[in-house]
Amino acid sequence: MSSHEGVDHDVPLLELRGVRAAYGRIEVLHGVDLAVPEGAVVALLGPNGAGKTTTLNVCAGLMEPTQGSVYLAGRRINGAAPDQLARLGVCTIPEGRGVFPNLTVRENLSMMTFSGRSLPEVEAVAYERFPRLAERRSQLAGTMSGGEQQMLAMARGLATDPALLLLDELSMGLAPLIVEELYAIVAQIAATGVSILVVEQFARTVLGVADYAAIMASGRIVQVGTPADLEAELSSAYLGG
Amino acid sequence: METNTQRVEEFKQEVASMHLSAPVDASERTWLLVGIGLAVAGIVFIVFGWYGASGEAEVAKQVPYIISGAVVGLGFVMAGCALFLRYSLGRYLRFWLVRDLYEQRAQTDRIIEALHATGRGREEF
Repeated sequence: MSSHEGVDHDVPLLELRGVRAAYGRIEVLHGVDLAVPEGAVVALLGPNGAGKTTTLNVCAGLMEPTQGSVYLAGRRINGAAPDQLARLGVCTIPEGRGVFPNLTVRENLSMMTFSGRSLPEVEAVAYERFPRLAERRSQLAGTMSGGEQQMLAMARGLATDPALLLLDELSMGLAPLIVEELYAIVAQIAATGVSILVVEQFARTVLGVADYAAIMASGRIVQVGTPADLEAELSSAYLGG
Repeated sequence: METNTQRVEEFKQEVASMHLSAPVDASERTWLLVGIGLAVAGIVFIVFGWYGASGEAEVAKQVPYIISGAVVGLGFVMAGCALFLRYSLGRYLRFWLVRDLYEQRAQTDRIIEALHATGRGREEF
């Protein structure tokens, strides 16, 4: 387990208390309690359909809880608009990358100038962290490999100088080596004090960078602890044992 | 890399001073309903005006009905239709944008597949 320096773990930067959420009449979260301490990496694990992405959507303001509360730095933020949260520094990197395939890397990065930074500044931050993107700056994002597209999505997110990063299924559709490379970058980002909530279906790699992990099944958190505590519980959570 | 505690403090302050407004979706639905309500009220005014005016033989007595019925009613109908169009179109155009993005992505994927098939695509790393 990694432990990041210079951070106060007392007040959670993000906290969900008894959160219930539904798509129409179908409730998918049945009272989720989860905390992301300041400066920590929290992994939310669980099988497909457990409610992980919905939990992340609630944190990002994309869905409003039907019951329960979402707290950001101790303030209840139910009903806050996703763009409001994004401007504050809550950055969501969605499942499936979310890059604009018909735009070049540079044009994709220019989308992040809404945050007040100039394009050269955004590019400097992105290329420092992901040198491979500098080589591809004039390439259409859609023609890059899955790993490079994921790097672009992360670079775009980091350009906003986030305080809280919400990552959804970083490993989706990528080769294990690329996933390891991306999680090494996640660990570097975490070391700068950015709090991270990462949703993953494939647990092994993410547990290597997480400070805490939670296992989710059928819309509930069934176990919370350190990665070492949870490793033994994983197979039963995934197999329903 | 440096630990960014100053950024976290800024974030906390910004969160504390954040003004929470109603979600856009909820306010859009409200304005859409207001638009429909205004248009219906406008039609009711017009019918009332017509009914009242038709019962009066003298033009001078018909004028108040025309003013409160036809003019006010027409104003309500126009304002209601404008609100309805504004908020229903906004929602429709957002769906259109998402669909356009999705189709562009599918199109790019097809082009890349074709390039790979002809041996011109880059290898996945």
